[in-house]
Amino acid sequence: MKLPNVASGTRALLAAAILTLGGIGGAAAFPDKPVEYIIPFGPGGESDIAARLQQPYFKKMFGQDLVISYKEGGGGAVGWAQLNGLNADGHTIMGINLPHIVIQPAEKDVGYKTDDMVPVYWFQYTPDAIVVPAGSEFKTLQDLIAYAKENPGRVTFSGSGKGTANHLAQVRFDKLAGIKTTYVPFGGTGPATAAVLGNQVSASWGYTTVGAAQGDQVRMLAVAMEERHPLFPDVPTFKELGFDMTGGALRGIAVPKGVAEEKRKAWSDMIAKINKDEGFRKQMLDGGFALIDVPYGEMQAFMQKQKDDYISAAKEAGILK
Amino acid sequence: MAGLDHLLGALTPLNVLFALFGVVVGTVVGSIPGLTATMAVAVLVPLTFTMEPASALILMGAIYTGAIYGGAYSAILLNTPGTPSSIATTFDGYPMARRGDGDLAITVACLASVIGGLVGAFFLLTLAPPLSRVALAFGPVEYFWLAIFGLSLIAALSEGSLFKGLAGGALGLLLSCVGVAAVSADVRLTFGSQTLIGGIQIVAALIGLYCIPVLVDLVATPDRHLHLEETPRGYRLKEALAIALREKVNLIRSSVIGTIVGILPGAGGSVASLVAYSEARRASRHGQQYGRGEPGGIIATESSNNATVGGGFIPTMVLGIPGTPTDAVILGALLVQGIRTGPKLFTSQGAIVYTFIWGLVIATILMLPTGLLLGRYAYRTIVTIPKAVLVPTVAFMTVIGTYAIRNSESDVVIMIILGVIGWIVSRFGFAVSPIVLGLILGPIAEQGFVQAWTIGSAVGDLPGMFFGRPISLGIIAFTILSLLYPFLKTWLAARGSQPVPLGEGRPEQRVRGRPDWATAFVALVLAGIGGVALLDARTYGDPDSAAFPVTVAIVLVAMSLIVALRAAIGWGTPPAADRGSVPRRVALPVVMLLCAGLMAMFGFVPAMLVMFMALLAVAMHDPWTPRRAGLFVAAGVVIVIGFYALFRYGLMVPLPGSFLL
Repeated sequence: MKLPNVASGTRALLAAAILTLGGIGGAAAFPDKPVEYIIPFGPGGESDIAARLQQPYFKKMFGQDLVISYKEGGGGAVGWAQLNGLNADGHTIMGINLPHIVIQPAEKDVGYKTDDMVPVYWFQYTPDAIVVPAGSEFKTLQDLIAYAKENPGRVTFSGSGKGTANHLAQVRFDKLAGIKTTYVPFGGTGPATAAVLGNQVSASWGYTTVGAAQGDQVRMLAVAMEERHPLFPDVPTFKELGFDMTGGALRGIAVPKGVAEEKRKAWSDMIAKINKDEGFRKQMLDGGFALIDVPYGEMQAFMQKQKDDYISAAKEAGILK
Repeated sequence: MAGLDHLLGALTPLNVLFALFGVVVGTVVGSIPGLTATMAVAVLVPLTFTMEPASALILMGAIYTGAIYGGAYSAILLNTPGTPSSIATTFDGYPMARRGDGDLAITVACLASVIGGLVGAFFLLTLAPPLSRVALAFGPVEYFWLAIFGLSLIAALSEGSLFKGLAGGALGLLLSCVGVAAVSADVRLTFGSQTLIGGIQIVAALIGLYCIPVLVDLVATPDRHLHLEETPRGYRLKEALAIALREKVNLIRSSVIGTIVGILPGAGGSVASLVAYSEARRASRHGQQYGRGEPGGIIATESSNNATVGGGFIPTMVLGIPGTPTDAVILGALLVQGIRTGPKLFTSQGAIVYTFIWGLVIATILMLPTGLLLGRYAYRTIVTIPKAVLVPTVAFMTVIGTYAIRNSESDVVIMIILGVIGWIVSRFGFAVSPIVLGLILGPIAEQGFVQAWTIGSAVGDLPGMFFGRPISLGIIAFTILSLLYPFLKTWLAARGSQPVPLGEGRPEQRVRGRPDWATAFVALVLAGIGGVALLDARTYGDPDSAAFPVTVAIVLVAMSLIVALRAAIGWGTPPAADRGSVPRRVALPVVMLLCAGLMAMFGFVPAMLVMFMALLAVAMHDPWTPRRAGLFVAAGVVIVIGFYALFRYGLMVPLPGSFLL
C-alpha cells in the first residue's frame, strides 16, 4: 500500500511522538514492576519495622509494591555478600546498616567489602540509649555511674550481638565515664529487651526505639543524640550530661553494583521523597526512630567519614585489632 | 468470657472467608519443606494495609496456624518436617505411615492441632497479660536448662546405642556453631569458606538430614514408598477420635506445654513439640512404643506446636516482643496499621484484639474440615503416585524449598551434602534425630550458657546463677526425671517381678560379635571432626566463643572413641545389610548436586528439568513404555514450571534465571 508523502511525514512524526512519549513514560514508570526489598535480618528488628513503614508510602507514591523478604545469617553478612550478584535491573534493593557494613569486612573476610557496596540513601537511625526497667534503682545516669564506680563490673548491660552498635556504645561509654560494666550479648533487640524487662540484667544498651515500644515499662537514662528526641522531651542527651557521645545504628538502602547510574539516582530520589512525607515522618518518630537524609550524591564523602570514624572507634574499643 | 461480644465481629462473612482462605493457604505452604509461615505472611503483608486491622490479623493468624499443622503432612508421609515445628512428628508419624497408618496419623495430627490451637487461643483470650510475665521470668539460665532438657531426649532417640546418640547430638551441636557466633563476633568452623559464614541454615539441614536419606532408600528398591490399602478407609475419624479420647491427658498437657513454651521468645514450636514429646513419652504407660509409631507421640507434638501460635501472640501483643519470627512479621504489619502493642493494647484496642482472637478460634475450628480434606488429598497423592515420579518431585521440592529460605545456592549444596552424611551415619546406627536436636537446641544452649556465665561472673555468684533459681531447678528436676524414669520403671517392674518391657531401660545386649571395622571407621571420622573443632577453637579471639564448641567437641571425641572401641571388639550392633541397588543410591545425590551446580550457569528451570528427568530414570524400576515416558516427562515439566511460577511470581523468590528461560 502506497501512502502519500504527507501521510508518511505524519506517520514519522507520530512514530517519533510515540517513541518520545514511550521514552518519557519509561523513565517515569521506573519502577515498572514490584520491587524486591531484602532485609538481611530476621523479621521484627529495627530494619524490618522501618521497611514496613516505608512500604505503604512507596506503593502510594510510585504505584508499585515493595515486597519485603528476610534473608538472615551472619549478622547481615549473608545478604550483603549476595547483593552484587542479584538482579541489577533496579527492582532489587537491600537494607544496609552502619556500623555493620564497615566493621564486619574490617574484622574478617565476610564475602563483601565496604567499598564494593552501592549505598543509595541513608534514611534513618536509631540513637543509642541506656534503658532500665521502670522499677530500677537507677533513676538517673548519675545513679548508674555512681553504682558502677563502687561495684566495678557488676552492672550488666544486655545488647544485641557483639561488635555491634550496642556493644560499641557500651565500650565507648565505659571509657567516657571511667567505669567498668559487663556487656551481655543477646540474639537481637527483642531478647535483649526481654532480658532487661525481666530484670535478668541491670540495664540495656538499646535504642530510642526500645523506649518507644515499651512505653512506661522502661526508663531511658540518656540518649546519644545532638538534641533530645521529640518523643522523649524528658530524657536528657549524653551531651547535656557531659559525655560526648552521639550515634547509633544507621540504616539505608543499597542496590547491586550493576544498577545503572540513573536508577541509583532514581532510588535516592524515591527514598528521599518518602522521607519527606509528613505522615511517614510522624510514624517513624512515634516509633522512636530518628530521620536522616544522605542522598546518593553525597554518598562517597559520607561513607569515607563513617569508615574512618567507626574503624577508629572500634580499634579504640578493642573490637578491631 | 472476655470479649465475647467481639465474637460477632469476627463472624462477618468476610472474616470467615479470610480465616478459611488463610488456613488453606497456610496448610499447603506448611506442608512444603522450606516454605514457612513467615515467608507466606511476609508476602501478604502489603495486601493487609488496605484491610481492617482485625481482618488482616485474622488472615495472617490463619495462615500461621495452618502452616504449623501442614508441616505434619510431609513429616508423616516423607519423614521430612514441613516446618521445624513438626520435627518430633516424624518420630512416630513416619513409622505409622510405613506400616500403612499414614491416613490415621494425619487425622490424629489434625485433631491434635485443632485442640492445641484452641487451647493456645483460649489462654491468649483469657490470661494474656499475666502469662506474658512468663516470657520475662525466663532468663538466660532457664533457656540453657530448657535446651539441656530438650537434649536429654537424645537418650530416648538413640535407637539402641546411647553413645552413638550422644556422639550424634554433639555433632549437631558443633554444626550449630558454624558461622558467625551469636555470642561473639568470631567466625567459627568455616575453614575460610565464605559460604559457611551464614552458618548452617536449620531448615535446610532438616530437609537434607531427613529427606535425602528417605529418597536414597526409595530409589534403591522397586517397593512402594508407602503401603496402599486395597479398599479406601476414609478419614478413619472414629479411630482417631478414640485415640484422642484415650490420650486426653496427653492432649491437654501438651497443649499447655505448647502455650507456655510459645510464650518464650527464644524457644518456639520446635522446642515446644520436643518438650511435649519428651513428657508424653515419660508419662505414657506404653512409653517404650514411642518412636515406633505410637499415635500418642503425634498427639503430643501436633497439639503443642499449634498451641504455640496462641502462646506466641501473648508476648507479641502484651510486651511488643515477638514470640516467633512469624509473630515478628505480624507485629510489623500491626505497627504500619498504627496499632501500638503493649500492656494497654487489650484495653485501648480491645475491639481489634478480641475480634482477632475470635477470628483465630474460628480459623482453628475451620482447620478441622479443611485439614482432613487436604490431608486426605496429600495422603492419596503420596501413596498412589508412581515412585518414578514421586522421587524426582520430592527431590525437586527439597531444592526449591531450600533455595527459597534465603535465596542461596550454597544452602542447597549444604542440604544435599548433609543428607548424604545423614544417610551414611544412619547406616552405622547413628540416628539422624540427635543431630537435628543438637542443631536446633545448640544456639539456645550456647547463648543461654554464655549469657548466664557472664551475668553470674559479674555478680559473683555462678552457682546461684546456675542452680539457685526456682524455674531452673524445676527444669533440672524434670530433666533428671525423664532421664532416670525409664530405668526407674524397669527397676520397679523387676521388683514386682513383672516381665521387663522390651526396648528401653534394658541394658544393651552384650553379646560379643565380630569386630565391626566399618562402624569403627565412621566413629573415628567423627572423633576426627571433634579434633578439628578443637584446633579451630584455638583461633578464636573471644574466650566466650570457645567454651561451648570445646566442651561439645570433647564430648564428641570421647563418645566417638567409645563407639569405635566397642565396634572394634565387637560389642556394638552391626549395621544392617543393605538391600537394593547401590548405583541408584549413589546416582541420586550425585544428580542432585550436579544440577544444583548447573543452576547458576543455566538457570533454575533448565537445571531442574534436567534433574527431574535424570531422577526419573534413576527411580524407574518398571519397564519404560511410551505411555509412561510421555506421562512422566509431561508431569515433570508441569511440576517444575508450575512451582517455578508459584515461587517466582507468587512468593517473589528470585530463582536464578538464564538465557534459556
